[in-house]
Amino acid sequence: MEILSLLDVTFFLLTALGALVGIVFGAIPGMTATMAVAVCLPLTYALGLNHGLALLLGLYVGGISGGMVPAVLLNIPGTPSSITTTFDGYPMARRGEGERALKISVVASLVGGLISAAVLFLFAPLLADFSIKFSYIEKFLIILLALTVIASLSHNMLVGIFSGVIGIWLSLIGDYSISDGGNGKTRLIFDFMEPYLFEGFSLLPVLIGIFGISTILLEAEKGVKSDLSDERVKIGKGAGATFSLALFKGRLTNLVRSSFIGTFVGMLPGVGGSAASVLAYTQEKNLARDSSQMGKGAPQGLIASESANNALTGGALIPLLSLGIPGDSTTAVLIGAFTLQGIQVGPLFIPENAETWYVMMAALIFANVVMFFLMFYAIKTIAKVVMVPKHILFPIIVMMCVVGAYAINYGIMFDVWTLLIFGVLGYLIQKVGLEVAPLIIGFILGSQAEVYFVKSLESAGTLTIFFTKSPIAVVLWLLILASVAFSITMSLKNRAKHRHELLG
Amino acid sequence: MPVFKKTIVGLGSAVLMTSLSYGIGAAQAQEGQLRGNVRVVIGSTSTGGDTYQNSSIVVDQLAEKLDINMKVDAVGASSAFRTLDRDARGNTLMIFHDQSYLGHLYGVEGYADIFEKYTIGPTVAINPGNAYLVPKDSPYETLDDIIAAVGEGETVRVAIQPGGVSEIGFSALKNAIAIEHPGQEDNLVAVNTGSQSDKNQLLFDDQVDLINGSVQANEQYTRLPEDDQKAMRFVWLTARQETIQQAPEEGLGQTTREQLLEFVEPNVHVTMGDDETFTFDKEFFFLYNKEMDPGIVEQIDEALAEIFEEGEIQEIQKSAFFIPNFRPSGEASEYLEEKRSRYEEIIENIQ
Amino acid sequence: MESGLSDLLSVSIDFGTSHLFFPTLITWIMAVLFVLVVVTQVVPFLAAVRRGERALPILGESMDSLRFFGTLALIVAYFHLMTVVGDMFPYTGYGFLFVSIPFVFLMSLLYLHEWTRKALVIVTLTAFAAPSLAWLILAKLFQITLP
Repeated sequence: MEILSLLDVTFFLLTALGALVGIVFGAIPGMTATMAVAVCLPLTYALGLNHGLALLLGLYVGGISGGMVPAVLLNIPGTPSSITTTFDGYPMARRGEGERALKISVVASLVGGLISAAVLFLFAPLLADFSIKFSYIEKFLIILLALTVIASLSHNMLVGIFSGVIGIWLSLIGDYSISDGGNGKTRLIFDFMEPYLFEGFSLLPVLIGIFGISTILLEAEKGVKSDLSDERVKIGKGAGATFSLALFKGRLTNLVRSSFIGTFVGMLPGVGGSAASVLAYTQEKNLARDSSQMGKGAPQGLIASESANNALTGGALIPLLSLGIPGDSTTAVLIGAFTLQGIQVGPLFIPENAETWYVMMAALIFANVVMFFLMFYAIKTIAKVVMVPKHILFPIIVMMCVVGAYAINYGIMFDVWTLLIFGVLGYLIQKVGLEVAPLIIGFILGSQAEVYFVKSLESAGTLTIFFTKSPIAVVLWLLILASVAFSITMSLKNRAKHRHELLG
Repeated sequence: MPVFKKTIVGLGSAVLMTSLSYGIGAAQAQEGQLRGNVRVVIGSTSTGGDTYQNSSIVVDQLAEKLDINMKVDAVGASSAFRTLDRDARGNTLMIFHDQSYLGHLYGVEGYADIFEKYTIGPTVAINPGNAYLVPKDSPYETLDDIIAAVGEGETVRVAIQPGGVSEIGFSALKNAIAIEHPGQEDNLVAVNTGSQSDKNQLLFDDQVDLINGSVQANEQYTRLPEDDQKAMRFVWLTARQETIQQAPEEGLGQTTREQLLEFVEPNVHVTMGDDETFTFDKEFFFLYNKEMDPGIVEQIDEALAEIFEEGEIQEIQKSAFFIPNFRPSGEASEYLEEKRSRYEEIIENIQ
Repeated sequence: MESGLSDLLSVSIDFGTSHLFFPTLITWIMAVLFVLVVVTQVVPFLAAVRRGERALPILGESMDSLRFFGTLALIVAYFHLMTVVGDMFPYTGYGFLFVSIPFVFLMSLLYLHEWTRKALVIVTLTAFAAPSLAWLILAKLFQITLP
């Protein structure tokens, strides 16, 4: 029982502190889990490996979970992976169910985190061997599958798909990055833009610009009225706001499925974390018996999104610890903690560092539990954020968005201007009736779709490769077809219903 | 309304006064010296990579020695160059490695001629880990086997990241084949890809026969049993023999220095013609804005010389598998320019 | 027939121009969709506008011009001055701190409808407290680079 001797009071305190700081980072629009881990990385040198990892894993779990707070209350995804949380969380908050929405999200996060930790603990090496069966081709198909959510998410399918394609187009601006294996040449920009747009628009400023700044512009246009209108005071009152575990009744499949999707996507290196919640959301929309309320404030959407993005944590650690390859941007920073301590991560990490491995598992599980209690009991207070008058709240949101945008790439001023550009763009988009959610999903997934698509064709030289590569590819195609077929039937059904209502 | 006006005036004067007092404070500092907060931008966006790790070791020591605030920011190559361009006061410094001029040699967008555009600062360390690997069950036992096979018309595919450090070994190999087996060099094919995981993946999928990698990232893969799909084998380390000889005796992971030495010259010979062997050490060095005060260049040179004199930094560097390698600014500039011209020749030869 | 199909599906991408392959594809898809959207959505909509059934977005709507354009102007000034002031005190975060205080203050005033003494005091206090707190925690404690 040597392990137990490593788990001292400091260990638990650091994990809890990490979770707390992580939640705060995640809850500030624009600050992410990755940033929290990066900022605290130098501290781990003084703390030593085990204590350092305790702190960092706490930050990681807390940071991912904290993203739900602004997503639900302010309609600004605190981290890119909480984008789908805004779809149902914000409508609920507007109905005065912010507290309930947050509690559902917290429970879903806990379950997602624990399921993925269990999967990590039991099957890490096995799954790592499975994950290397996914080449460019299969990864492209996964992105394509996630993109199909655009069709089912949009109010008008044609407009939605058009918006999604605009999003993809915007994501391609700048260079075809060498670090993704591209040729480093720029496209879709004029020469004079190159100093600013060489690397294109970065994701986070685009996200908080299009959600945060454009919301403020829309409000400003209306005169920023009714500070404490009825809907905003309802928090904590109203019959609809109560939370009970009964809400999860009949949602167990969704919860478990989304957790596994999150773990799985986290496991695939290069397929970004945001794809996890999008994919889980798509699947819930396709497979649920009744998904008609999703996007209008349905708890099932929150469950899918939040369990998947927390499951990402365990998933992303799988390739890190059993292949030495980070599964997402946060684990990429975590590698730094190991190298700082002179520990190699690779296929032999777990057998050769059994102690560290158990310590990490303990930290991961404990961090999830701490996150749960911290958030569950703080929610009542946190939810009051929406009661802050808008004339105080909005300037502070803008200020924090600036900090987040500037800091995300370690201090680049153009990222701050990106906020404004996409704030105005987001305003115009909503004004002319284009759809924001498909556009942003296209933007998030666009550049990965490009790399995987072009690289697949570059090596194979034929489009048939996407169908014939492997059994996995065939399964993915079936899922894609099912998803598309589903969106089409849904849209036809809706149209028929609409017509029926008009006539009747 | 009067309340409003008063506050504005009060606020304005407060800001003005603070800024004035600071302006004076800054002006009083000695000329030609680093002052205030100093930001060191690096050419990589990763805080888990070797550039960041090496830079933070050096910058921590430097900040302590000079008693100023210094901070490393992983902004990436193109942003780092741009940030450096804008600041001639010495508040922005940059640390990068051979990529900074190799990118220019390979004609990658966004890379200018650093020897013209910037002042080259001191070199501080070498990462000796640049390596080439084959699958453990590969028919090629050594790099010579590969050269011979390509010479006989076999196609060998190599996974690299184009346009820099990862490509230079490939270019040298191609050049060597062109010298030893003229006309056959086109049988060595580059498969352009991105991160280390992409390169590994191509090897697992049998899409390539040889990959660029590193001792640090791939050592554990070389210790897997042969029947594991992921098992690999080193065939070549591009570092100089003297470089590896300075590595700690225990090497890295469970691969000792002795074992690593098997994969460097003269055991592995990649010719550059005229009995010359190609080697490549990935060296980290400072880059300064051309207009920056020469006093600062001197100040950093002196501080680093003292730090390396004391000897503590070498221990830290070695424990992180870096080879200490301090050359003051002027010497470094000459050395790197010479290094560049050798690689320029190779790249021109194979075009 | 067989070979005809595989010819159709075969694609060869030259690495040197591979950066244009996908963007070209997407641009075409976007153009086709644009035409479809114009035909099926925009034309009927404009017809409805002409009949007076619906209003044009932005142009045909009433808006609080002062607050809308005031917000835009404030944000532009905020971002711009932050760099200017920040440049005077390199990498201290003072640019952020000194410019955020008046920005938060002015934007709050812009949005405040009833200028009571109490409201103004609160606005002034938050305008000083919020940026100072953010600066202290982020720039000082966590050493995040700010403008």
